[in-house]
Amino acid sequence: MELIIGQYVPRSSVIHRLDPRAKLIGVFLYVIIVFLANNWPTYALLAVFTASGVALSNVPLRYIVRGLKPVLFLIVFTFVLNALFTHQGPALFKFGWLELTSAGFIQAVFISIRLLVLIVATTLLTLTTTPIDITDGLEQLLSPLKKLRFPVHEFALMMAIALRFIPTLVEETEKIMKAQTARGAEFSSGSLVKRAKAIVPLLVPLFVGAFKRAEELAMAMEARGYRGDVGRTKWRLLQWQTRDTVLLASIALLTAALVFLRG
Amino acid sequence: MKIKTVDLVLAAVYAALMAIGANIAAFLPPVQGVPLTFQTLVAILAGATLGSRIGALSMIVYTLIGLAGVPVFAGFSGGPGTIMSQTFGFILSFILTAYAVGKIVERREHPNLSAFLLAGVVGLAANYITGTLYMYFSLKLWINAPMTYGAIWVAMIPFLVKDIILTFATVLIAPQIKGRLDAVRRKQPMPVGGNPSSRSNP
Repeated sequence: MELIIGQYVPRSSVIHRLDPRAKLIGVFLYVIIVFLANNWPTYALLAVFTASGVALSNVPLRYIVRGLKPVLFLIVFTFVLNALFTHQGPALFKFGWLELTSAGFIQAVFISIRLLVLIVATTLLTLTTTPIDITDGLEQLLSPLKKLRFPVHEFALMMAIALRFIPTLVEETEKIMKAQTARGAEFSSGSLVKRAKAIVPLLVPLFVGAFKRAEELAMAMEARGYRGDVGRTKWRLLQWQTRDTVLLASIALLTAALVFLRG
Repeated sequence: MKIKTVDLVLAAVYAALMAIGANIAAFLPPVQGVPLTFQTLVAILAGATLGSRIGALSMIVYTLIGLAGVPVFAGFSGGPGTIMSQTFGFILSFILTAYAVGKIVERREHPNLSAFLLAGVVGLAANYITGTLYMYFSLKLWINAPMTYGAIWVAMIPFLVKDIILTFATVLIAPQIKGRLDAVRRKQPMPVGGNPSSRSNP
């Protein structure tokens, strides 16, 4: 099942090996500096930078394309709207009230590149970093918030537990559905009301079973002396390497180039 | 903010149940073109059975694992790009739904069916109002789409009908599930080897 694998594509590449903290900071900064671009050289620079990130990651293009699917409508829609409703300069094409001007076309191309670059960059992060690494990275980056009594550690732990539980519960759902079908339950036909009734014998055992697992896990954690963040040691340790510094430096360089080239 | 271990695990489990609820359509065929998702149902149950604080927490965890790239949102989607999708408001609204439902159920020590019903309706309203507002503003601000707020509601009617029916089903099973869950939360023993000062001697 797709759910178990997630979006992560295991490959051996320099992007995969980057520290998740570096990638998170990098993507965060990138999403901001994308808005500096406003002419051909700056947008071209962004496109090249993003494309080289994709190339370095060794991730097959079809995964990137799949990541774009949910926002494809947005991109097409934005393109069409901006192309048709920016009326500046001479018309390239006219049909009734529809009018495509060169300025409108260029505007549409720019906005589409911006959206594409934003989405490809964030998709690349989740394609090259496991969710558990992202969780670890976020926990460390946000740890200063602990001083404000924000439960950073608890959030990271809850995310990790939820990730561990999803495949188990998917399996359990399938099992219960089969068991109830064997007892004569109908999940795939009938009116909406009838089906809403049919899900009750599916959901109640699913929830009760999940609570039982939760109870056992909580008991096991406390039996092993879990007391929250205090005095906890880690199995997975993050290590900042030279390549992580290189990533952030290249983003700084890119920012400087964008500021210099923008019109 | 101190969270009990059992609450922490339960919030995580609810986040996982939410992921199942969002994608249960993979097992069930759609009804008249509307894919069956149980997100509203799970969000209402989270508030009704875990309470406002832990319930909202579990929905925040769900949103975060989705944004971190796990395909837990409806249609096996996920990743930070989801923020740009017009339906992200519905995902955000589940936090509010769980919180509102929890607040209403918590007012009484032994909530009756009508308290659960009121909570369910308020939760559903929170879900749809937040979701449609986000959709309206995201269409308006990002792509300047000529769509009125009313038109969005019209587009949402088939989903709303499905969720109203599911909300009634939820209200009916909520007391049963809450009873089971309260038993789990009460049963938690004193942590072994925990802080000795918190241990009381009879």
